[in-house]
Amino acid sequence: MVLKEYFEKMKGTTKSPPMVSLEEIIWSWIGAFFGIGMVAYLNYSRFEHTDLVMIVGSFGASAVLIYGAIKSPLAQPRNLIGGHIFSAIIGVTCYQYFNQHMWLASAIAVATSIAFMHVTKTLHPPGGATALIAVIGGEKIHALGYLYAIIPVGVGATIMLAIALLVNNISQKRKYPEFWI
Amino acid sequence: MREKENKFSFESEISDEDIFEAMKNIPGYLDITPGDFKEVYQMAYRHAMSRIVHSVKAKDIMTTKVLSVKEDTPVEEIADLLAQNSISGVPVIEENGKVAGIISERDILSGIGVKNIKSIMGVISACLKNNGCLAISICGHKARDIMTSPAITVLEDTALSEIASIFTEKNINRVPVTDAEGHLLGIVSRADILRYLPVRDRP
Repeated sequence: MVLKEYFEKMKGTTKSPPMVSLEEIIWSWIGAFFGIGMVAYLNYSRFEHTDLVMIVGSFGASAVLIYGAIKSPLAQPRNLIGGHIFSAIIGVTCYQYFNQHMWLASAIAVATSIAFMHVTKTLHPPGGATALIAVIGGEKIHALGYLYAIIPVGVGATIMLAIALLVNNISQKRKYPEFWI
Repeated sequence: MREKENKFSFESEISDEDIFEAMKNIPGYLDITPGDFKEVYQMAYRHAMSRIVHSVKAKDIMTTKVLSVKEDTPVEEIADLLAQNSISGVPVIEENGKVAGIISERDILSGIGVKNIKSIMGVISACLKNNGCLAISICGHKARDIMTSPAITVLEDTALSEIASIFTEKNINRVPVTDAEGHLLGIVSRADILRYLPVRDRP
């Protein structure tokens, strides 16, 4: 009987939310274009031949939230900035302690960053990617050490936040953020 | 008893479809499923309900234009008053304005001497067995002879929740509201409570 209930839960109970308007889709596109455009431009024009980077893969995921689902609690400034920076620190720490066992470093980095984001009420899904990139991101990322938490992660997230504030408040029907702290 | 089932059914009448339609009217992507919203809504509704029943006081819902009778008002006058105003009970007031007791239809019936009266059919049945109207027996009685005294009363600041449970526990339909000295200020009936809450009986 318990087993039946267990499998019963896998059927789902509700329907998916409605599709957004065309206007919402266009604004999402514009926000993401400028947000990612800005950090990518800095990365490729200013940091190309340095040891630094300005863009990491997890920013693509953040763009989904902060330009495409701007009402989501996961997309708010507290979560964006806090989630990225905490996860970056955790990721770097895990790499430094467990780099003999990359699989273990990866798993601990992501799992711990999720737990820590929960505890600090900064859950931001791309944070998990930020932690993972700190471990699996290669030589250039590893060489940054804890600087990774500031450049690219902290500064990049802040730039994207600035773009979100500018773009998401242009339309009368949109406002961002829902809350700061 | 049906009382226990009269929980606030309003909450469960909202459907996933209602929520879906509402979500469509809100621009932007809402990061919540209709099912989760429904759960939040139902909990918030229950919370609001319990807040209301605990924060709403007798003075917020009582009828202040309350009819009353004196201790020496004749029973026939009281019967007339109840009939004319389509009410089923009335407080009895002392000279100094304090509540001495309360008279309901039930008090009049038991004053007549009919035992175990539960309905109008009980009265008719008793009249038929008795070959006539029983009410004659209390003709000339005064309010003080048949009233329930002391009356169950509440204060202005008694919470709605408490009044509701008094109604259920004492099986009464109205309760006079008094100040600390016992002076009549108003009356709360079951209907007053129903008017206040968006409550509907389950079918």
